[in-house]
Amino acid sequence: MTVLPPETARRFLPSVDRLENAMRAARRSLDRGDLEGALREDDVAIQLKPEYDAAWLLRGHIFRKDGNVPGAIEAFAQALKINGESQEGWLGLASSLHAVGRYPEEIEAYDRLLQIQPRSLEAWIDKGAALHDIGDYRGAIACYDKVLAMRPEHAPAWSNKGAALLRLGDDAGAARSFDEALQLDPDFFDAMANRVLLCRKLNRHGETVLWADRALRVREAPWLWYVKGEAHLGLGESTLAMKAFERSLALDPKSKEAKAGLRRAKAARQKGDVYRGVYECFGTHAAGDPGCEGCEILGRCRLVTP
Amino acid sequence: MSLPSLAEVEHADWTSLQRMCENLGLNPKGRSAVVRMRVADFVRRRGQPPTWRPAKAHQAALLTRIGHPDLAERLWESTMQLDAPGPWAGLGHAQLAGGFLAEAAKSFSRAAQMGEPGAELHRAEALAAGGNFAGAAAACDVHLASQPRDLRGILMKVSFLTRAGFEDEAAKVLRSAIDLHPEAPELARSLGLALLRSDHHEAAADALHAATQRDSKDASAAAVRGAALLLAGRTREAIGVLREALELDPERADALNNLGVAYLAMGQTKPAAVSLERAAKRFESPRIILNLGKVLEAANRKTEAAGAYEQVLRLRPKDSEGRAGRKRLAPSGKAKRSRKASAKSAKKTTLSRRTRSKSTPPKTAAPETAGT
Repeated sequence: MTVLPPETARRFLPSVDRLENAMRAARRSLDRGDLEGALREDDVAIQLKPEYDAAWLLRGHIFRKDGNVPGAIEAFAQALKINGESQEGWLGLASSLHAVGRYPEEIEAYDRLLQIQPRSLEAWIDKGAALHDIGDYRGAIACYDKVLAMRPEHAPAWSNKGAALLRLGDDAGAARSFDEALQLDPDFFDAMANRVLLCRKLNRHGETVLWADRALRVREAPWLWYVKGEAHLGLGESTLAMKAFERSLALDPKSKEAKAGLRRAKAARQKGDVYRGVYECFGTHAAGDPGCEGCEILGRCRLVTP
Repeated sequence: MSLPSLAEVEHADWTSLQRMCENLGLNPKGRSAVVRMRVADFVRRRGQPPTWRPAKAHQAALLTRIGHPDLAERLWESTMQLDAPGPWAGLGHAQLAGGFLAEAAKSFSRAAQMGEPGAELHRAEALAAGGNFAGAAAACDVHLASQPRDLRGILMKVSFLTRAGFEDEAAKVLRSAIDLHPEAPELARSLGLALLRSDHHEAAADALHAATQRDSKDASAAAVRGAALLLAGRTREAIGVLREALELDPERADALNNLGVAYLAMGQTKPAAVSLERAAKRFESPRIILNLGKVLEAANRKTEAAGAYEQVLRLRPKDSEGRAGRKRLAPSGKAKRSRKASAKSAKKTTLSRRTRSKSTPPKTAAPETAGT
């Protein structure tokens, strides 16, 4: 190895090739999941060029993947000191701040990014979600409206707007928003789950079961099984309620609510159990509907429909 | 059975929905909205998924093409990945289309560093768009260092060198390209054009001869060869070659014009006028009509010549040669004397214009050739 005299060493500039090779190796290691290797190569890049924003961004991603959120925050902040206009930097910093619950700072990060890039959909959506988390639902809705003005077909923005409206007590507005989201993306889990919560709030057990079933076909979640169990109980379907609580407990064995629900379902079964047969719409009777007119369990359905 | 479309499901009445359920083997019982949802879910899951869905990168590329480079730029930025050069190249194109030439060159440079094979050529285009032809040629050199046989890179380098004024250098590059790609006849034609532009008429004629030997149906090469021979003073040969070119493509206005000029140089005003009239019919260019005016004037068809000059002035009102021609042929007493006096000079100018008009055909032929 050649040792450069101190004066020359000060003037020495690292080879661009070496720097790029180190970065490339770090990215490859990160893609492979070799976080230690990625960090080692990234260190080399930072040593060669300490003011290299891409290397600091990469370091932030490595730390985030490794669960070292404070380290990630520091790395993204360093990248932003070098290049304050990096969207990747601001989004990385904001999501790291979100991970440790520092919402006001997260919102500030989105604001800074939106000053630079006022049309960044990601920033608007994430800012809305952060405002939702701190309870500023009107602020969140304003953010989603910004997104929808730019991209009216943005299903997550509709779903999030519905969730904020639901929190504000505007059930009809929320229902409209979820309808829009599901029209645009019929398999959108979040919109279906939000709809389940809306139906549950309105005590529409039939619809709660219907939408919970649809959402569970996309993705399982213990809380969804629990809500479904409760709705079955509301419809008098003890066996189906038991099955739902059991599934919820299988996914989350520590759930006290599910355990209590299962107990209630077992007790209800002693008194009676409704059988819905092939009618997945049980509990959603609509007068004048041709499907309802020919229904074999019409009388019972009418009784449990609000 | 074939699946109904989602629109059909959406708008089907109850009876049709029942029929659909029956045909698809679905449960037909329940509230109509739920049955409709059931059928729609089935159709969506069973229906052929779209074979292609535009990704962000596709949308960005499309936005650049349809004239929204600012939106494309934003979209490209959102597709940036840690190790993919493609978005950098796309971003460069959007910046180029938006007029941000320096930024575009930087983006292409970044794509090239990440291993995008054609990025240096794109950078060359960005530099050339900013008028830096020497830099563009240097970028082509970088590209050719890794892909020395790349014909596109060679032709782009030739074009940039020519535009930078290094015509001899361009001819050299073309000569070496012909050795590398003997199968590409357009290279010989491009070399001929480059030599013609740098006033090496004999050499140009030879190169174009080689091009026509490689591709005997190349009317463009034959027409430019005719012009080169004419400029080299080999008028008789030029006439033969131009006639051959016109046999291949009788509609070539440049070849007809040059043939007219060649006939005039041989003192044959009648066939010269016929050729130029045919050329003017095919392409109403002031240069061709001026040549026609001069030939008609030389053939003593003064009314027709005056008409030709008028036509030139309609197309280009300030054309000095057109104005001079009209003045010469003006029917006043004084003008008569001056016309007599100017008849000799007219002859002289006709000859001098003949020489000048010879430079026109290569200009007409230039856009048709590869690499220019």
